[in-house]
Amino acid sequence: MSQGVLSVRNLIVAAMFAALVAIGGRIAIPLPPVPITLQTLFVMMAGSILGARWGAVSMSIFVLLAAFGAPVLAQGQGGLAALFGPTGGYILSWPVAAFLIGWFTEKRAPRLSVAYLTAVHVIFGVLLVYAAGVTWLSFVTGMGWNAAFAAGALPFIPGDLVKTAVAAIVALRVYRVYPMIRKATPVKSQKNQ
Amino acid sequence: MSAFQSPVLGQYIPTGSVLHRLDPRTKLLFVFGYMFVVFLAQDALAYLFLTVIAAGGVWLSRIPLPMIFRGLKPILWLIALTALLHLGFTKGGDLLLQWGPVTVYEEGVRQAGWMSLRFLLLVVMGTLLTLTTSPIDLTDGLERLLKPLEKLRVPAHELALMMSIALRFLPALWEETEKIIKAQQARGADFETGNLFQRAKSYIPVIIPLFVSAFRRAEELALAMEARCYRGGKGRTRIRQLQFAPRDWGMLVLLAGLTGVLLWLRLNT
Repeated sequence: MSQGVLSVRNLIVAAMFAALVAIGGRIAIPLPPVPITLQTLFVMMAGSILGARWGAVSMSIFVLLAAFGAPVLAQGQGGLAALFGPTGGYILSWPVAAFLIGWFTEKRAPRLSVAYLTAVHVIFGVLLVYAAGVTWLSFVTGMGWNAAFAAGALPFIPGDLVKTAVAAIVALRVYRVYPMIRKATPVKSQKNQ
Repeated sequence: MSAFQSPVLGQYIPTGSVLHRLDPRTKLLFVFGYMFVVFLAQDALAYLFLTVIAAGGVWLSRIPLPMIFRGLKPILWLIALTALLHLGFTKGGDLLLQWGPVTVYEEGVRQAGWMSLRFLLLVVMGTLLTLTTSPIDLTDGLERLLKPLEKLRVPAHELALMMSIALRFLPALWEETEKIIKAQQARGADFETGNLFQRAKSYIPVIIPLFVSAFRRAEELALAMEARCYRGGKGRTRIRQLQFAPRDWGMLVLLAGLTGVLLWLRLNT
């Protein structure tokens, strides 16, 4: 991170996104069977709005904050216990998810559509995250795969699929007014200028 | 939303104990070291050492037990669940109990006990770290611990700065969110009815202004930092210096000793 002026802004926006993900955990839509928080919505948007690199940075910051006991997880949880607890796999996979979402968003950058973004969100924001989360859950608790899937994925999937579309709509609108992602024009690294 | 009222503190409970006064770097190293060492333990003696250290930490921290218990509560039922699963499904050793389709084997009891204890120890140590150290101290400690890695282009200073910024803006952004929700409700926005998709969609008029506000704040902060000639961590001086005291070295020696003992027990039994 030696690009100076421009990176200060990106740095701050990425930090803001880490805070926004924490806030997303507080906004709950009370729906049976499980209340849905907007946390993963912001995770997906961290990727599709900030792009691969800064999306990943921002989510790593979030994970570190959670590890340090700031009440940033859903329902105001935090701390190493929550992070390495049974549901930690989901959270630990967010940096990777944001990176991949950002990478595929950048690839198509000027010609983005809601459908394309939704697809990217579904693949990396839902499938990848659940694969990581359920594997972790079954590893930590010693539950079987089916039990872990039924407890850790099934009730949340409808809500998450809806969130992928909403995240795509919002990300596209934000991209139109405030494009954080620019077509990756390779900037030569300038050493000792 | 009361939990955000002191977001900088998080779970931190200041009691001014010895543990609170330890250098955050020491505590970070100790807890992370401990978490690896726990997995070396295989027999009762090793677990005894680990438990004594965790209990000693709890005692030294002078944090009331109910407070620690409160941090554990969300995890306890999972420990119980894990134990039950091991009791029910791990086979081996003598059959201890048979009741209808439920069978409990010796190996199952042992596994359940050790797994729960290991889990409990991990959780207690993690909780203890965040109860005795404020996130700002931890951020500082992390920056200093990662400093040597800056040669490998790990941006230690930037990471710590971003964590501080995120912590700083959490309450402001949350306040903003509540304000926006109320403003949209006053305009007739409906968050309570409709199906899943309609409800999720009704939050778009909240999220967009929230983004606008977050970006504006970021822009202002960036401008302010640049106006004050911020140019990264290089050559920056700080008002609060971390300093190792003898007790910090003591803790590190204790960690090294514990690792040695557990390694020895593992290799010799």
